[in-house]
Amino acid sequence: MSKGWQITLILSLLGLFALFYQGLWGDPRHIPTVLIETEAPNFEGPDVETGQTISLEQFKGKVVLLNFWASWCYECKVEHESILQLHQLFKDNPDFVMLGVNYQDELPDAQKYLQEYGSTFSHVRDLKGQLAIDYGVYGVPETFVIDQQGKIRHKWVGPITGEVYTNITQKVIAPLLNAQPTTTTTS
Amino acid sequence: MPIRLSWCLAALLTIPLPLFAAVQDESDVDIQVREIAKTLRCTVCQTENIWESGAPLAQQMRGVIRDRIALGHSTEEIRAYFLSRYGDYILMEPPKHGVNWLIWVSPFLLLLVGGFFLYKEVTHWVRDTPTPPTQPESPLDDQARKRIERELKS
Repeated sequence: MSKGWQITLILSLLGLFALFYQGLWGDPRHIPTVLIETEAPNFEGPDVETGQTISLEQFKGKVVLLNFWASWCYECKVEHESILQLHQLFKDNPDFVMLGVNYQDELPDAQKYLQEYGSTFSHVRDLKGQLAIDYGVYGVPETFVIDQQGKIRHKWVGPITGEVYTNITQKVIAPLLNAQPTTTTTS
Repeated sequence: MPIRLSWCLAALLTIPLPLFAAVQDESDVDIQVREIAKTLRCTVCQTENIWESGAPLAQQMRGVIRDRIALGHSTEEIRAYFLSRYGDYILMEPPKHGVNWLIWVSPFLLLLVGGFFLYKEVTHWVRDTPTPPTQPESPLDDQARKRIERELKS
């Protein structure tokens, strides 16, 4: 076998192994979501703090930021300060709503978490995990931005901090609120 | 008496325990849940389907499958629902389209190419290996022949 053929064969093998490795052990967080530009699934559930029913439908026509979190999640604590800051930035805009989605958690733990770290917006409980599955959630934290037409415009897997915070506030939410629709990609 | 008792106990121990296990009936819904869950990947675990996984998300996904079966959804509709939420990643078996064909075809292609090159190499070795020179038969000398004849006669 010539040297050229040997190299081609070895490279093909390595490529195949890489493909299988990525498929079997790759981090699902880097997989692009199929939900961008699709209709945001409606949901309703009890508020973590008040118990009152919250549904997505009641915020129709607004830009909605959905943030999935849990009290046991370390990265959620890391992003919490930025999440509150983000709410502070847009809370006076009547076209903006921010909702937390408490995922795979116990109610007392979730309430204690919010008391300890602070909360300035509503949080809905995902009782059976249906909401997370409807949004194709892999883990927490995960954040979605839904536009005024009810379409998912952006998804981010991981904490909203640093450059991610700048990107989501300046390049995703602000243009949507200024009615300058742009298609954004995911993490 | 104690010896007899120990023999009885020993005999009891040889009986396979599953014989005493209670037979659990699996309903049609359970079977359908299992069949669907086995084809869907647990998105928070590595290389496990949601039937085998103990992760809370996998458990919730099994619950969603059960709920949808109860609502009269077909296997294909349920699989399509998960596919619409998570994309191809959710499927244990990659669908046969686009770049996924590479995963299906390449092992056989490599086997074929590897086999071809192996065949070529082996025939090359066989052709190039020099055959060992044959040893000429050593003729018997007169003295040896006479000795053999003598011994045959005796």
